Amino acid sequence: MTATTNLLAFLGLVVALLFVWRQSWPSRLRLFAAQSAVLALLATAVGVLAARPGLVVLGAGFALVKVWIIPRVLRRIAAGAPVRPGAPGRSSGMALLVAGALVVAAYVVMLPVHAATRLPTQGAIPLAFAMALIGLYVCVTGRDALGHILGFLVFENGVFGLAILATYGLPGIVEAGVFLDVLVIVFIMEVVVVQVRREHASIAEDRLRELRG
Amino acid sequence: MILVLLLAIPLAGALTLARAPRRAAVALHGATAALTLGAAAAVVAAVGRAGVLTALGGLLRADALSAWMAALIGMVGALAAVEAPRYVAPGAGRRFYPLLHLFVFTMLLAVTTDDVGLMWVAVEGTTLASVFLVNFERTRASLEAAYKYLLICSVGIAIAFLGTVLIYFADVQQFGHAEHALHWTTLLRLAPGLPPRVVELAFVFLVVGYGTKAGLAPMHTWLPDAHSEAPAPVSALMSGVLLSVGVYAVLRFKPVVDAAAGPGFASRILLALGLLSMAVAAAFLWTSSSYKRLLAYSSVEHLGIVCLGVGFGGPWGVTGALLHVANHALAKSVLFLLAGRVRSAYGTADIAAVRGLLTRMPRTGTAFLAGMVALMGLPPFGLFTSEVMIFGAGFRGGRGASAALGLAILVAAFAGLLRATQTMCYGVPEREPAPEAAGWRAVLPIGLALALLVATGLAWPPGLAAALSRVAAIVER
Repeated sequence: MTATTNLLAFLGLVVALLFVWRQSWPSRLRLFAAQSAVLALLATAVGVLAARPGLVVLGAGFALVKVWIIPRVLRRIAAGAPVRPGAPGRSSGMALLVAGALVVAAYVVMLPVHAATRLPTQGAIPLAFAMALIGLYVCVTGRDALGHILGFLVFENGVFGLAILATYGLPGIVEAGVFLDVLVIVFIMEVVVVQVRREHASIAEDRLRELRG
Repeated sequence: MILVLLLAIPLAGALTLARAPRRAAVALHGATAALTLGAAAAVVAAVGRAGVLTALGGLLRADALSAWMAALIGMVGALAAVEAPRYVAPGAGRRFYPLLHLFVFTMLLAVTTDDVGLMWVAVEGTTLASVFLVNFERTRASLEAAYKYLLICSVGIAIAFLGTVLIYFADVQQFGHAEHALHWTTLLRLAPGLPPRVVELAFVFLVVGYGTKAGLAPMHTWLPDAHSEAPAPVSALMSGVLLSVGVYAVLRFKPVVDAAAGPGFASRILLALGLLSMAVAAAFLWTSSSYKRLLAYSSVEHLGIVCLGVGFGGPWGVTGALLHVANHALAKSVLFLLAGRVRSAYGTADIAAVRGLLTRMPRTGTAFLAGMVALMGLPPFGLFTSEVMIFGAGFRGGRGASAALGLAILVAAFAGLLRATQTMCYGVPEREPAPEAAGWRAVLPIGLALALLVATGLAWPPGLAAALSRVAAIVER
């Protein structure tokens, strides 16, 4: 169990780092779907190995929402946007360095959690938290609406992974609520971004600078 | 049963209004708001009699703290509901009324559920229900405000979810997958045995997350935009009670953290955030050029004061903080409603362009002046009393330095508010405003709210002291 969960969480983190590296939205979208698939697999694996059928169902639901439905909506949101936001030639080196530092930070922050448990999944917990931190970083540094949303979703993925690894899943009503929330957020985002594009002919963040002070 | 009704009424109202014919919309909207207020009053009465109400197998639970919040939501909801038809064109009702009542429903659910997971879902729901209300006027600025609001609050609330996961983790590690492990009552019972470091870490995430919804600095950046661009009744609800719901969530976790990690940890964080929020807000109170943004920053300031009160702790600090939540809810919702009227009369939200409010719109102007005086924390209004209680608790409880710093910031904020008030209330406007509405209906709800503020300042109605001490006993054990 330890080997499987460690491997899957590590894969998820690698995808998150690739996500920081790549800047064009089509590849970021594919990477987000790939990461979601890895996490769905993680939930299923923990479900099978720890004999928790609820988690297998959760994994299937997660795959449905985050591998299939949300990427479809995101593709609709992004349609027509330039493939790379911002000035060309901007390197990802600095961003990757920050992401690396965030992985180290994730291990430090998760020390108390690590110390409080003997779960077979404990080694993977900081990896999931690192995914969340990287998502948060991408979200706050995003230069257009799509960057913000994708960063937020990677952050959500990290928190989901953490919940699976640390608690073997939250009570059903809460997980259902979380799924519903993420779905509604993405659908509302679609409506809002479509209006932003109608108003500004772009979804780049620097167009949204009217409200100050 | 009454607890289920309290939630069922606004939800059913929202669903009906989404399909209601245009002619019936306003009447149905009024009936829903009135019934919600009635149900909230009934819940307060029932909690006063029985102490605690539960429903749906323990999923819903209302104690004195829930009742306090439900009463506030009911009152501010009713105030906003009375004012709403002024802002909603007959054809636009379906875009407004259902969401307004859905918004009220999510806030009521957040304060009446025992499950902290479901509370999280409900708080997230408040954002989702109100995004399109912020963007109701569909201008560029309101669209931008709605986008920021949705993004920042969603990220914030996801951070709170991380905290909830860690609390659940601590719980499950120590006691196994107990039934109702995420129920607040269970958490509180098991708290002394939870691993303290994990609970501290969780609390940091919870404060950052729910603090975003409460508009605490430095997570407040969505607030001035959303509050100033939303239609006045929505601003009143957001500023008056939505921010308080964020504080409520933090208040629920504080006794758990105190029991698990010792009393100092949560207090220190709340004091730091409270002082920072007050300082940031005071700076913007001096520089804001729009009175709606001024009111929004003043909310950041007052929520900072509330955090300070909870951080100082002790019966005085917590009681003062809870009273301050109520006082601020009343004063700020009244002011946002009046600001909406001023804006439609003068056609601008610029402080400098609104002159002579007292002579040009005597009734609105007088109420606005009274509200601003209340907001500055002057007697005879309730905010004076609660601020005295809060800072008194600080000086008594050995937190003299924080209390003194807070008072200094308060003076700076006071001066900023005074400057804007003076500009708006006196002088001669460049352009004459439209005449204000006549008749008692425009005045009555606002007069009632101001009268309540005087009551919490001068003479507490019977039962208020007892109710407040019951609420404070829940937060401070």
